[in-house]
Amino acid sequence: MKFLRGMLGYMIAGMIVMSVWDGFAAPYGIAGGYIAAIIIIGPMWFMNHYVGLIDNPDGDAFVDMALGIGITGIARDVFLKGSDAFFSAIPTLGFVILGATIGGYVAVLVEKNMEERALEGKEHFPANEEPAPGYLSEYGGNK
Amino acid sequence: MTLGHAIATTFGGFIFPFLIRMIWGKMVDEWGAIGGWMAAAFIVGTTWAINHGISSSMITQSGGAWIDMAFAAGVGVYVASFLKGGKLGGSFVNIGAALVGGVSGGFILSLFL
Repeated sequence: MKFLRGMLGYMIAGMIVMSVWDGFAAPYGIAGGYIAAIIIIGPMWFMNHYVGLIDNPDGDAFVDMALGIGITGIARDVFLKGSDAFFSAIPTLGFVILGATIGGYVAVLVEKNMEERALEGKEHFPANEEPAPGYLSEYGGNK
Repeated sequence: MTLGHAIATTFGGFIFPFLIRMIWGKMVDEWGAIGGWMAAAFIVGTTWAINHGISSSMITQSGGAWIDMAFAAGVGVYVASFLKGGKLGGSFVNIGAALVGGVSGGFILSLFL
């Protein structure tokens, strides 16, 4: 059941993104991309990760619906254009995966540093609650 | 693909999972489910604009198959949750489901696109 739930979640998200997104972005450009993000990613995230169609228990490494979307994009073009389409895309795929791995690693470094600072009692509060450390509003900015 | 394109593509892959880890969860904590829509619009929409949307985009497509920045989100968020203690063993079913679901979805799309 876990497999079926996941498969449906990744598949539906991937199919809608890899067909409807271009339908908005082609005629409306950047504005179309924002519309697509709201009407596709919004409900797909809600179904897959808020309602929890994709079963991602807390203790396990998190497999985002984005992985299904990425794979759908490649598979669509391989079925449409043949396997050469995949081999010629390997450089881009490699650099994107490299960047993503560094991005995830650096994000964790930042998160751990934030948690350490919070333990030291030096956590940052959002500006609408309390000024951030070192922020003196009477001087009009950061000191 | 030049060296410059390679560096830009790598950073395009960096920026998306980094933004998701930094602010998606926080938006949901602050605003509930609506925070997910805010994140969809202002993380995915904005990052899509630089990675794919503008005419000379940050992620250079080297070949015929579309490499979406979603790949970066999937990999980066997975790496981050693993480094924060997420267990790999329990995640393999979902990775298999993403592979099978993604390939099946791509096949169905190829029937009518």
